[in-house]
Amino acid sequence: MSTLTSDLAQELETGRFQPDAPLPKPRRRRVKTRLGQAAMYVVLVVLLGVVLLPFIWMLSSSLKNDADVLTVPIQWIPKEFVWSNYADIWSAIPMAGYLANSALLAVVITVLQVLTGSFAAYGFSKVRFPGRDALFLAYIATIAVPWQAYMIPQYIMMQKAGLTNTFTALILLQAFSAFGVFLMRQYYMTIPDELNEAARIDGLSDYGIWARIILPLSKPALASLALLTFVNTWNDYMGPFIYLSSNELWTVQIGLRSFIGQYSAQYAMIMTGSVISIVPILVIFLAGQRYFIAGIATSGMKG
Amino acid sequence: MTTITQRRAPAGEETPRRDRRDRRDRRGLRRSTLIGWSFILPNFLGFALFTLVPVIAAFVLAFMNWDSYNPPTWAGIDNFVRLFRDDDFRVALTNTVLYAIGHVPLTLALSLGLALLLNQKLRGIAFFRVAIFFPYITSLVAIAIVWNMLFDPTSGPINQFLHAIGIANAPGWTASTAWALPAVIITSVWRDMGYYMVLFLAGLQAIPREYYEAAQMDGAGRWRSFWNVTLPSLRPTTFLVLVLLSVSSFKVFDLVFVMTQGGPGRATLVLSQLIYQDGILNGEFGYSSAISLVLFVIVLVVTVFQFRIQQRRER
Amino acid sequence: MKRSLIAAGAAAAALALGLAGCAGTGSSSSGSGTAGATTLRVAVWNLQQTPEFGALFSAFEKANPSITIQPVDILAANYEDKITTMLAGGDTTDIITVKNLTDYAGYAQKKQLVDVADVVKSLPTADIPATESYKTGSAYYAVPYRQDFSVLYYNKKMFADAGVADPENLTWDEFAADAAKLTTGDGADKVYGAYLHTWNSMVQGYAAAQQDKSYDKPDYSWMADQYKLTLGMQKAGTIMDWATANSQQVQYKDMFEKGKAAMVPMGTWLIAPLLADTKAGTTDVDWGIAPIPQLKSGTKITTMGGPTGFGINKNSKNTAAAEKFLTFAAGPEGAKAVAAVGIVPAYHSDEITKQYFGLDGMPSDALSKTAFDPDVIRPDGPTGTNAAAIGTILNQEHQLIMTGSSSVADATAEMASRVKSDVLHQ
Repeated sequence: MSTLTSDLAQELETGRFQPDAPLPKPRRRRVKTRLGQAAMYVVLVVLLGVVLLPFIWMLSSSLKNDADVLTVPIQWIPKEFVWSNYADIWSAIPMAGYLANSALLAVVITVLQVLTGSFAAYGFSKVRFPGRDALFLAYIATIAVPWQAYMIPQYIMMQKAGLTNTFTALILLQAFSAFGVFLMRQYYMTIPDELNEAARIDGLSDYGIWARIILPLSKPALASLALLTFVNTWNDYMGPFIYLSSNELWTVQIGLRSFIGQYSAQYAMIMTGSVISIVPILVIFLAGQRYFIAGIATSGMKG
Repeated sequence: MTTITQRRAPAGEETPRRDRRDRRDRRGLRRSTLIGWSFILPNFLGFALFTLVPVIAAFVLAFMNWDSYNPPTWAGIDNFVRLFRDDDFRVALTNTVLYAIGHVPLTLALSLGLALLLNQKLRGIAFFRVAIFFPYITSLVAIAIVWNMLFDPTSGPINQFLHAIGIANAPGWTASTAWALPAVIITSVWRDMGYYMVLFLAGLQAIPREYYEAAQMDGAGRWRSFWNVTLPSLRPTTFLVLVLLSVSSFKVFDLVFVMTQGGPGRATLVLSQLIYQDGILNGEFGYSSAISLVLFVIVLVVTVFQFRIQQRRER
Repeated sequence: MKRSLIAAGAAAAALALGLAGCAGTGSSSSGSGTAGATTLRVAVWNLQQTPEFGALFSAFEKANPSITIQPVDILAANYEDKITTMLAGGDTTDIITVKNLTDYAGYAQKKQLVDVADVVKSLPTADIPATESYKTGSAYYAVPYRQDFSVLYYNKKMFADAGVADPENLTWDEFAADAAKLTTGDGADKVYGAYLHTWNSMVQGYAAAQQDKSYDKPDYSWMADQYKLTLGMQKAGTIMDWATANSQQVQYKDMFEKGKAAMVPMGTWLIAPLLADTKAGTTDVDWGIAPIPQLKSGTKITTMGGPTGFGINKNSKNTAAAEKFLTFAAGPEGAKAVAAVGIVPAYHSDEITKQYFGLDGMPSDALSKTAFDPDVIRPDGPTGTNAAAIGTILNQEHQLIMTGSSSVADATAEMASRVKSDVLHQ
């Protein structure tokens, strides 16, 4: 690859990841900035209270007895702390197995979605061919059709293929969504076409351009796509519910709802499980944070 | 400075340099068509087989009567005629459109604002970002219970606050037919803002530092650089968020259902719930497919409209 | 970095293909059985939490060693969704548990179940009155194994403390009066005289059953009196207001067990959980059951209720074995098995009643025994061909009445006009 291409790419990468890098600020704005920062923190903390309230309820409910969860008025602090809920849930339902199943599905679907989505997005944004935009619009518009509408035709298709009660069915259904294509396409549109041109002059094929230039430059978008796909798959209930009949294949969401019986429900356990099932998402979110913060070194594109 | 801006203009659409390349492309049109399809194929194939085919099947069913079990019978446009007379459909469509009108702008503004707010190098910013994302990953049951409590007309904090600032006739929120939909909109905006904030954060990373530096050197303050640099550069992301928001608003189901079950009465009955009700509960799949088809057409029109506006803006 | 991600993804994919599934309770598959053995697949809900299925299946397998039962566990909340989808795909699960009469109406209309009139003929139907609920024309598409009906649960201690006589032979007005006497406290400590759950059947069901009215005729003015009573109690604060109970998803079991309500009209399905909780020590409520309040004193005890039953999937390949199971479940042996876990069987006999009242913790006073044997049980919701659609309309208008968004007269008129135009297309 020529120095031109790699220089352009590198400039883009470093240039992008520092949105508010220290720019010279005149002296008299420094005090205002500090006050502004303090005010910012206050706003953020208030915001925090509002967004975390239901989670606090979840947390508090997970430490109660079932009968104390849904009380009127709400008891924010449990009368007695039932720490054993966090121990019991692993034997009340095969929670570890369910977590593993959910993880499997989420990881496989996320990886496939990110790969095929970003691959297709290149075609929709960097290559021009007739009917491209119309196809893209139709693609997006199908996201609008609620799943209840085509749930049964889809199921019949899977049943005929003998794929009911398998993970494969869910993977095939969810790994090829238009959402990933859409997200990556919009991000690719912010990458200047000059880069493509330079790379083409260097002799790279489109596939090479995608793999070695475009993909590394789109880390923030890839991170956000991965995160959102993971979250959506992890929290998906109806899909696994309809397709997975065997108890061994159940995911966390099904497992948690199994505490809701016909005539009574163990809400404390449900909340315990819900709190536990949030942890992987937090881990992934925090891990992906680095793509949304300044100062990433380039991925070794020199030369 | 102007040279930089021109050289790095937001790419993807028409500029004068494109026309010259166009002529070269016409020769390689077949080649680029093949290449384009080769990129699209893995995703599109999976999509076409497992989503598009069932969706088309559902649309075909719109012209039939089917109870999901016995062979379908041809109905022509009967379902659509019935649709236009159906009171439930009218109610659900109105509710869904009102929901979209409330949900889309509010979530767009809030998520953009939060992304800008949290795109700084403040200490512990990651913690705040995760916190804003919490509503999206919190259990729907927890959200429904806590927000219903907040909205309680007599003892909930929201109405207590309204009373305190002198509003005598505070809304009945989820207990009243007039205010149930606004209540649901508020809750769903609160829930979704973190999700779309993540998309905006990604988009903000794509703005080259040079732009801000250039603007700074031109003497622009914070607001100016927001209007002249950030906002225009965010157009592709804004389009993404706008379309995704619109699409998801029209097919909203889960949160509304858990919070109010479509009630009181039909005050928060949305199209997805009607599709579920008529299809799975009442066994009228032909009819519910007709509703989905109408929903699809509405969203397609809205999406094309937004696409056209965005294209015009790019020129 | 990208490469390591791809590698991780490939590893995960390989793992996925290798692993069949990691949650290893295997409750859905049983032993292979001997040669010539038949396996019957039965769709049930919440297998772990619903002991009646386990009890029934083990008793059946003991009596029929050549048949093995393989439960298909489907969550209760979306049971109907999954059954509809499965049947649409041509699923061959042999036996479908029919949750309620509304679901039954759906199955019957789509003709998804086998006509088991022969099975019914072989049953002692005189002792199984619930069988009539499954009569569709000349066919029967299911047989009942349990029959629940509404009784009045009351907290004996609260009655004694307030000096109120036990709720014997109550009329609805007396019920309201008693509730007023039993309501104490305020705010977080408030104890309600009664708790009426949010379902529309808690008002409409009693009215329909006791006035012998049909849900299918587009005239619902007969609901007015029952609504007047209920709204009156809500206004007086002797029952929890509907909007709060609904939005906070209040559980009737908790209200009763924690002594938050002195009387709870509810189905007999609450008995088994009460017994289980008392045994487990999570509650010490001193409870009894009484017949549901009636319109007038001295009349027959009329209450609402419905059966739960089993039907045979038309696509089943083991119809003969399935019919054997149905006969077992609906008859005296099935009744014995479920009565042992506190479920009220569809099969009635003195022996069963004795067995039932012999259960640990079961109140054995005379009033409870009377409650156990109502004179008339009528359906608690619509049962005809448009059962689901009518039920939805009735429920929606119920919400409007209970939140005060609509007057009783307006709402019942609206019910009639909507059923007429949207469901019956008249």
